[in-house]
Amino acid sequence: MAATAAALSLPVSRREKGEEERQLVRLAQSGEEAAFEELIRRHQQRVFGLVSGILRRREDVEDVVQQVFLKVFVSLKRFDQRAAFSTWLYKISVNECWDYLRKKKVRPLVYEADLSEEQVSRLDGVVSADQPPASASDRAEARDLLERMMEKLPEQDRELLVLKEVEGFSVQELAEILNLNVNTVKVRLFRARARLMDVYRRRLHSKPAGAAGPAADKEG
Amino acid sequence: MSMNAKNSNAANNYAACTQYEAALEDHFQGALHGPEAVMLAEHLQSCAGCRAALEDAAASARLLAIAEPSPDPGAGFSRMVMARIRQELQSSEGKSIWRPFVSVGWRFAVTASFALVLLVSFELGRDSQWQSDQSIVAENRMPEIVPERPSLPANRDDVLLMMADTSHGKQ
Repeated sequence: MAATAAALSLPVSRREKGEEERQLVRLAQSGEEAAFEELIRRHQQRVFGLVSGILRRREDVEDVVQQVFLKVFVSLKRFDQRAAFSTWLYKISVNECWDYLRKKKVRPLVYEADLSEEQVSRLDGVVSADQPPASASDRAEARDLLERMMEKLPEQDRELLVLKEVEGFSVQELAEILNLNVNTVKVRLFRARARLMDVYRRRLHSKPAGAAGPAADKEG
Repeated sequence: MSMNAKNSNAANNYAACTQYEAALEDHFQGALHGPEAVMLAEHLQSCAGCRAALEDAAASARLLAIAEPSPDPGAGFSRMVMARIRQELQSSEGKSIWRPFVSVGWRFAVTASFALVLLVSFELGRDSQWQSDQSIVAENRMPEIVPERPSLPANRDDVLLMMADTSHGKQ
């Protein structure tokens, strides 16, 4: 327990952070529950971001994140620390998400309603002039509109964009987590950006004024 | 396909040249330096498709900036996870590797006992049935059909009496 306390009180400089984490992992491997709890605290937000970036359904996220940490705890003794703990943890998280989606046969959310002209003009302001919505309600509505457009993207594009641009994972991290070459991640990211803008143009500008409903949605 | 044709096609569809996509992503993120940066800058001057794709990347980033990252689950989350881990460990403590074999063994023992009880009760039933059959047969026996065996003479007088009976019968 004293060792755990010492590990927790180590200086937090970037250089020593890695060694500190390795020490925590070693303590957790030897059965120190406090050390494992500290590892959870340090990584829970990023794991939440990763899982919610893949699953989207917020009601499923917490359960899957709990399951991730349970699996990590069970298999921690087999972790040899050759890779960073975070990379190993994120890989387990991604696998857990894919398992979950496969078992549940979750289908992507589909929004049938299309966007009004007013909504179009609001997003135009954001895209062309980098004008973030002023009020909280406008921001919430803009996020909802963005979510609708993201749903039109292929799953892989959506995951990459959310993890990179929203949850803040680096290209290097994404390559490690998703078992991809770094260059592949860059190319896929760049194409995903282009496809998002393609969806944006088709959904916002190609439909006749006042068009709404599923028929217009199918064309998009 | 020639480069010019490709570029013109790319310009129409807002698509970048495939060989420059990784470099464009690096450039967009400010991570492209040295000769590669120079080469891309030269290419961008002559390629409308790549320029348009780069503008799209910037616009997509502005769009995605609306989204908010997931909120921190809070300090209670780690405690909740630890509680679940402890619960799972407790429930799995009883589950040794022999548990399936022990379970099968118990099932076998119960089945064998049941079969033994059935067999014994069947045997007992058959035995009692045989005995009751025998008693019924004995009760219903007809004495006139099966003549009684003559008893042996007990003494000399009995012998004389038997002889007298026999000679009397013959007459």
